Amino acid sequence: MKKMLLLTAALLLVTGLVFAAGASETKTASTAPAISYEVTEPITIEWWHALEQQYWPLVDEIVGEFNATNPLITVEAKYIGNYATVNENLVAAHAAGSGLPALTVANTPYVAEYGKGGLTEDLTPYIKATGYDIDDFGEGMIAATSYEGKQVTLPFLISTQVIYYNKTMADKEGITIPSQITDMDAFMKKASKLNSDGTTDRWAIIIPGWDQWYFEPMYLNSGVKIVNDDRVSTDLAGPISADLTKKFQNWVSQGYTYWASGTSASSNMRQNFVDQKTFSVIHTSSLYNLYKGLIGDKFELGMAWLPAGKTKISEIGGSVLLIPAKNDQKTKNAAWVFLQYLIGKDVNMKWADGTGYIPTRNSVLSSEEGAQFLQRKPAFKAIFDNLDEINPRIQHAGWNQLATIWKSYLDQIMIEGADVDTNLGMMADEINEVLADSE
Amino acid sequence: MKQRIPIQRRIRAGKDFATVLPALLFLGLFVYYPVVQVVRISFTNWNLINDNYSYVGLKNWVWLFQGSGTKYLINSFKVTALFTLGELSITIIGGMIFAVILNRITTSFSVMRALIFLPKYIAMSSAAVVFIWILNTQNGILNFLLAQFGKAPVNWLGDKNRALFSILMLTGWRTVGYGMMIYIAAMRGISKNYYEAASIDGATKWQQFTQITIPILSPTTLFLFVTTFISAMKVFQSVDVMTAGGPYRSTEVIVYMIYKYAMEDFRMDRASTIAVVFFLVLLAITAATMKISNKRVNYDA
Repeated sequence: MKKMLLLTAALLLVTGLVFAAGASETKTASTAPAISYEVTEPITIEWWHALEQQYWPLVDEIVGEFNATNPLITVEAKYIGNYATVNENLVAAHAAGSGLPALTVANTPYVAEYGKGGLTEDLTPYIKATGYDIDDFGEGMIAATSYEGKQVTLPFLISTQVIYYNKTMADKEGITIPSQITDMDAFMKKASKLNSDGTTDRWAIIIPGWDQWYFEPMYLNSGVKIVNDDRVSTDLAGPISADLTKKFQNWVSQGYTYWASGTSASSNMRQNFVDQKTFSVIHTSSLYNLYKGLIGDKFELGMAWLPAGKTKISEIGGSVLLIPAKNDQKTKNAAWVFLQYLIGKDVNMKWADGTGYIPTRNSVLSSEEGAQFLQRKPAFKAIFDNLDEINPRIQHAGWNQLATIWKSYLDQIMIEGADVDTNLGMMADEINEVLADSE
Repeated sequence: MKQRIPIQRRIRAGKDFATVLPALLFLGLFVYYPVVQVVRISFTNWNLINDNYSYVGLKNWVWLFQGSGTKYLINSFKVTALFTLGELSITIIGGMIFAVILNRITTSFSVMRALIFLPKYIAMSSAAVVFIWILNTQNGILNFLLAQFGKAPVNWLGDKNRALFSILMLTGWRTVGYGMMIYIAAMRGISKNYYEAASIDGATKWQQFTQITIPILSPTTLFLFVTTFISAMKVFQSVDVMTAGGPYRSTEVIVYMIYKYAMEDFRMDRASTIAVVFFLVLLAITAATMKISNKRVNYDA
């Protein structure tokens, strides 16, 4: 036993000393890109997606149409799980260098990390070689799907942050969603209903704390630099951020809203809205169809843009499509053909109708097709009126770490009522360290 | 003077070694090689995605022991230790209690034993999803039952003081039956002569239990302690499904911390550093347990 322990300790020590010296080493570099982008022989490829079971008939229909019209390529669609699971599987397959799909979806915040790490194929040469028109996407979408000037991904199912509200209740009680953050205090008082014992009978709004993406626009529009221009520090402990955080904390302590955090937070929030225990909720536009289905005839569903500050921007959510760089060229070529089909104008409209995602093409948004889409989904006018305000997400290799730290501290501030200034200060120190180390 | 080993003995030793060689190769490839790799990665800045990396000396170790990683490491060790203590208590004490109560050879007791042991067969992820709904603050059956007694709803998974306890409810539900079955099997191996002799000497049931049953069951207790300790220290799935380490890291056990740094934050370097520390801690505690147990465990039964 003693010998085994000594042996293990010695092994660890020797390994440590050998590798602790600060030497530099690189693994094998990826192969140079091939010249031809043509698909010349039959090939079967795999597409990883995160569309849940209710969308599988639509997935089957769209993939089936592709397979029927492309005799050389057979696509097998594979549901992997949610975006986090897709990420885990993709990163593991990339590190192993095997088991990669030909094409996969990825959540928008991963674009920077994947782009920086070389996981994604640079699609720029494909776009040039095949003359694919990507200018039909908005500038924000192009920026959100590229990294350092390289088109490493392309927009697929795009959503943004919105407020869903009970329109029937709003009309009856004369409540409007405020257009400015400064008007939120009055809205909170009017839209909430408090019991005489101080408990809440109806919340004005529920703020999702489980994902910083939902409250991020309020900070950005107030003028907070979540990542400063120096790329190694944050302004999240600054006075503007502290004021807004105190506002949130005050609304929570008054019982006007609650900070939805934890694994069941999303479903609880949805249920509270359906049960009319809250006037409104902040959520992703992609869940429009789901909300519609859950509400049924109970009340009319309204959709509004988030209150503005100095600006009124929102951020792109949803998913992009990417081709893993470690695939062979034949697989990449087939994937590129399928990718073009998936993001094509007609197929994009099918996705938009069948899910809650936004049409991505300018030619659709500003045309008769767009008008027809609005007739089918009138609540989307709130988004169509603000399309130019949808921005790419902040791209930084340390973004996920920043988000984890930010969410954790805000949870503590909102749920425990912890001191805002002290906690934001500690949080900023941690975030600065992460940003500096990741850049 | 050095003695020469006969050639036949050498050949026999060679044959013996050849029989264990495949197992050694397997161990080397799938156990020790990854361990060495993890140690190596802890001295790099590898992010799991990038093919390129550099050796950064002790940077990750400084982050873990003198930087912002320290408080999270301490927090995770604390959470893991509390969880382990909880699971050990449930498995050993709970298992022993159930074993004493249900150690009867009748059909009704067999059915009861089966019902208590059954949860062990249910996949942890499935059970965790069911428990999420049982513990749901607004629509969960547990809060519904509490409401029938006029109690206010409890935020089982969202309150940092209750979340770990809630995970332990699931763990206890799954493991207590296992502890019970192991103890019952061991109890049935104890000779009745001990109890008859003790009765003749006037020992009460309690004295028989504390002076005969518990000491004779000490090897079984050691087995349960070591296996439960190691599995509890490595808990992941229930935490991942039920709380994802939250609320605000109050259930972030060590393995979840490693997973989060590696797979969500793309910091394989930092994750590996934590993994090495965890490996050494587990190794040291297991070795210490074995050493202490050599003196205290009674193998006479």
